[in-house]
Amino acid sequence: MLSMLVLLPIIAGIVLGLAPIKKAPVAAAIGIFVSLVTLGIGLAILAGFQADSAQLQLTERFSWIASLGIDYHLAVDGLSIWLVVLTGLLSAIAVGYGALNITSDLKRFMACVLMLEGAILGSFLSLDLVLFFTFFELTLLPMWVMITTWGGPNRAKAAVKFVAFTFGGSVFMLIGIFALAYLHFNTTGRWSFDVIDIQGTVANGTLWAKFPEAQSWIFWFFAVAFLVKAPCFPLHGWISDTYAESPIVGPILSSAMVKLGSYGLLRFCLPLFPEAVKANASLLAGLAVVGIVYGAMIAAVQKDIRRLLAYSTVSHMGFVLLGIFSLTHIGMVGGALQQISHGVGAALLFLLVGYLIKRKGTADLREFGGLKASLPILSTMFLIGMLGSVGLPGLNGFVGEFLSLLGAFQAGYIHVVVAAFGVVVAAVYLLYMFQQVFYGPSREEGAAVKDLRAPEFVLAGILLALVVIGGLQPNLFTKQTEASLGAVRGMVLEEVNRRPVYGKFPAPKPKPTMQVVG
Amino acid sequence: MDSSAIWIVIALPILGFLVQSLGGGLIVKAVGEAKSKSILGFLAVAPIALAFIIGAMITTKVGAGPATVVTGPSWIQIAGFSIPFEWIVDPLSMTMVLIITGIGSLIHLYATGYMAKEKDYARFFTYLNLFIAAMLILVLGNNLALLFMGWEGVGLCSYLLIGFWYKDTANARAANKAFIVNRIGDWGLVLGLFLIVCVVLDVVPKETRLLSYDVILPALKTALVAKPALATSIGLLLFVGAAGKSAQFPLYVWLPDAMAGPTPVSALIHAATMVTSGVVLLNRMHVVFECSPVASVVVACVGAFTALYGALIAFGQTDIKKILAYSTVSQLGFMFIGCGVGAYWTGMFHVTTHAFFKALLFLGAGAVIHAMAHDQDVRNYGGLSKYLKITFATMLVGFLAIAGFPFLSGFFSKESILGAALSGNQAVIDGVNYGAICGWVGLAVAFLTAAYMTRMMLLTFGGKTERWRTIEPNHDAHGDHHGLDKDHKPHEVGATMWVPLAVLAVLSAVGGLVLNGKFEEWLYPQGLAVLPKVAEHASNLQMYSMIVAFGGMAFGAAIYWRGLPASQGWDETKWSSIRLAQRDQFGFDSLTTDLSVTGGAELSKFLDSTVEHTVTSGRALASATSGAGGVMKFLQTGFVRWYAMVMLIGVVAFIGYFALAIHGGAN
Amino acid sequence: MNGVPLAGYLGLALFMFSTGVVGVLVRRNPIVIFMCIELMLNAVNLTFVAFARYRVQALPDDPVLAQSQTMAGQMMVVFVMAVAAAEVAVGLGIIMAIYRLRHNIDIDDMNILKG
Repeated sequence: MLSMLVLLPIIAGIVLGLAPIKKAPVAAAIGIFVSLVTLGIGLAILAGFQADSAQLQLTERFSWIASLGIDYHLAVDGLSIWLVVLTGLLSAIAVGYGALNITSDLKRFMACVLMLEGAILGSFLSLDLVLFFTFFELTLLPMWVMITTWGGPNRAKAAVKFVAFTFGGSVFMLIGIFALAYLHFNTTGRWSFDVIDIQGTVANGTLWAKFPEAQSWIFWFFAVAFLVKAPCFPLHGWISDTYAESPIVGPILSSAMVKLGSYGLLRFCLPLFPEAVKANASLLAGLAVVGIVYGAMIAAVQKDIRRLLAYSTVSHMGFVLLGIFSLTHIGMVGGALQQISHGVGAALLFLLVGYLIKRKGTADLREFGGLKASLPILSTMFLIGMLGSVGLPGLNGFVGEFLSLLGAFQAGYIHVVVAAFGVVVAAVYLLYMFQQVFYGPSREEGAAVKDLRAPEFVLAGILLALVVIGGLQPNLFTKQTEASLGAVRGMVLEEVNRRPVYGKFPAPKPKPTMQVVG
Repeated sequence: MDSSAIWIVIALPILGFLVQSLGGGLIVKAVGEAKSKSILGFLAVAPIALAFIIGAMITTKVGAGPATVVTGPSWIQIAGFSIPFEWIVDPLSMTMVLIITGIGSLIHLYATGYMAKEKDYARFFTYLNLFIAAMLILVLGNNLALLFMGWEGVGLCSYLLIGFWYKDTANARAANKAFIVNRIGDWGLVLGLFLIVCVVLDVVPKETRLLSYDVILPALKTALVAKPALATSIGLLLFVGAAGKSAQFPLYVWLPDAMAGPTPVSALIHAATMVTSGVVLLNRMHVVFECSPVASVVVACVGAFTALYGALIAFGQTDIKKILAYSTVSQLGFMFIGCGVGAYWTGMFHVTTHAFFKALLFLGAGAVIHAMAHDQDVRNYGGLSKYLKITFATMLVGFLAIAGFPFLSGFFSKESILGAALSGNQAVIDGVNYGAICGWVGLAVAFLTAAYMTRMMLLTFGGKTERWRTIEPNHDAHGDHHGLDKDHKPHEVGATMWVPLAVLAVLSAVGGLVLNGKFEEWLYPQGLAVLPKVAEHASNLQMYSMIVAFGGMAFGAAIYWRGLPASQGWDETKWSSIRLAQRDQFGFDSLTTDLSVTGGAELSKFLDSTVEHTVTSGRALASATSGAGGVMKFLQTGFVRWYAMVMLIGVVAFIGYFALAIHGGAN
Repeated sequence: MNGVPLAGYLGLALFMFSTGVVGVLVRRNPIVIFMCIELMLNAVNLTFVAFARYRVQALPDDPVLAQSQTMAGQMMVVFVMAVAAAEVAVGLGIIMAIYRLRHNIDIDDMNILKG
């Protein structure tokens, strides 16, 4: 099941890329079909997912390189289930958007999107470090092709920057992976790159007891890669150019891809380096808070609407990191939920921005104005999407932010006072954006722009529905994740030997411990 | 009617909102624009009126016992923390429900007439119905999270309605300002919420509904009685939120700008209901303030200062809606004085009466504006009582009520606040009676109120000169006049508009008489949570009140009886410096705007050009790398044999090193 | 080992390798350079085989096991030969392309590798 989920888009992408298909509609049909099937598999997995369990489910494990203990190991649990569905959904949206808007070399475009989807899914599902790393790096390739082929005027620079940043980060992780595997070998006498194996040795304390100083180093080697991806201040340098220069599908898919960063922290950093996480949590939460406010402030002075939203991603992902590193149950659930909320919300805004750019031929905020009159439907959708991003209660952005902040507050982080102010600045730049685009006197010369067509409406409508549902019934998105998050939290906070171990659950019911403030 | 019918009360405006938003366009298409307006108007007013009727039926069953909580499905539900959709039916919430739906349906009715020529009819009522829904959630929610949902929801509707005429960028700016300033208040509110969660969890560790009133109010009482400092932190944080929504100094700056919205909006949102949310919050969370004299004193003093400040600025305004806006700011200050000294019900009493007379005054002003071709400058009015008889008569009642004319509604509610304040009560720290200071300030403000309201009324309706006929041709610099010309003939408004005025006039007249003295018993049947009984009556207060009311009116009449004084005319360069300062809010708004907007933008630009473009973008790293590359370039000659040579040397060196090392190690 | 000691094989390999290195460094004809590279590779192959053979003698007790362990060295030779063949094919192709482009294959005349 999981292999199918991962390999179907990748193989379909390769085949589609090589196949001699000349007609764009055929390529579009294949792309849409494959992405919908993948999404269907993802939803089927979600439907069969056992919600209140932290266990790894649907495990598939084969030996790959036996002598080094490298496995082909896929499994899904609460940390990844919603991210898998999100990736499937956003890819389907991206494929649909591409079919409507990409005119040159649609076949190769579809191939890129599908391969990127497969790579992201593979990263979310891999439990072997080498396998994970392979998929993690594989995400770069299609994205790079997409930027360089269908990108804007400065695409070359943007592509280099994107690859340099992400690659630079993951080189550290590669070193970390080998170091970790070596230490594990040294402790147990077995080569293994499997997270479950290594976490077992971490949980009973043998691994780090033998190499106490190494933990913090290897933690940072892993963390840098994920923080670049997340993107966390000050490692977010790639996102602005990448979002502005790639075709609008790039940011839509990237809304799923940046979750690799936060997911990687939850999946690898927290369980494997508990002491280092505890020691550095407040520092990382501080970086997250700086990111929240800094991202929002920089967003407020952008002139390109895509850059503005790129920095808003920095700001919003800050809430995810803040929640995770609060190490409280509420905060971690909030962070995990915010991943999904931001994925849906940011993708919606980028989709609508794509529609706007198509209609006006520019992304410069100063060129817009008064579009509400001619685009009533688009402007309403944009309004709701923007409000979700602002964090209006009742829409999906609120719950994750609220819980993340509350969790951080419980952890006794005083930076919450600043982070909560980021919400104010978020209102500043988002409302400014909305005003620039839709309010004010109309600036149209000649024929009025046309409102959304039916397929465009459907694509955005799906995401919009999720924005509303996520705001009113966030339980739908949290109930699958809670048990796994509780287990991960236990892996960090519990004493050695009492830590939960993968495969040896049921973990004790997650019970939030609170810090008294005041 | 059973209290679970509260679901219907909330559902009705939501239903109206959905009908207007999703079906509005269809209705317009089906029956044509002209005909659709009566249908849409009916569909907008009916749910609110029905909600009022059901609300009234529920209210009759609400007694002195503990509040009824109607629980529904969960909203946020995670281990150790849950927020259900739950509604509280108690005197406080039902009082607000009646104000919101009652005044709300009157204003909806009025708006069907006021907005009759508007093209975006459905959009207007979409927002207005949504506002009622959000406001009901705010007051009815049984936990602070739902309160926050409503809190932000009303802020959103306010934002949308201020920017309703979006083609004017100034309106959009005003809308943004309202939302953002409110957000600053929300910052405090959210932090207050967090602090409450932590404190409550300390008292009842097993509990998961950590924001529900029935859990937190007793828990807070237990936790805070002995910890005034903690109570002060929570109280001040909550007050930041309340000050944002209720336009207290220094967060009042959005309210005057909010007058950019259509006048029914100003009446409903920015006078009668939304801006009083802060007072509702303080009533709801009174236990926190009872435990903290410091927070209470801050509330009272900020209220008193705001009351004075708003009243002073009102003298410098020429826009009829701005005069009323500053009057609202000032009256809200009164409500906070009442809450600050511990007489929370007096705040609610004033909320109620203020809803009557301020809604009336705004709607009346709307009728005047309507009659005057959308000109809002009182300097262009004059002698309108001749043309607008009903409007004048009803507004006169509202004016007398706000000015404190004996036995009208404002007289009683103001008097109860001032009585409680002058008695000091809770607002006494270390022997300094801050409450009494606030009370005396309040009396002074009552004088000013009577005076500036007299100014507004006389400039609008009084005198014989119909000034719009004599507008000087070149005074136009201060704004356009929407086609108001010499031959303009004002006309009275239609029935949909004057019926609400008449109803509100009756309420403004008798509301105080009927409700006086009943609010304490109604809202706080068991008394306060911590404090002993609050003294409410100061000696001779009624006499003082009458003196300041009549004195203020006489003062205003003395100046404005004969019309617009030349020194306050169209040419603002001839104004006295005090009046100019009042017009410009003593420079406060422009100062804070400069500091926050310009300063924030400059800082952001600075960060963008320094940190973002050099450090985090990797430019520094990139130039370091390319610099190193330049240095190493000479090694790359391009000759294959050169490379082979270098390789050989490298290998020899490598092997040589190890050979020596092993050799040395062997010895 | 048929009487020839290990040192003899290694000495020959050393000679072949040195010849190859000198040839690569001093000759200007790429064909000759290729031959010299082949020479070096074969020197390495010879070393591999010699050591493999030598190890079998050093592990007398279980000849089957010893044989299987020493197969690694002989495997490597096959591997190197395959790589060498591929390399020659590519290299000659490049030389042909250069010749077509410039009608000259003197190695000192080209430095297009310079960045």
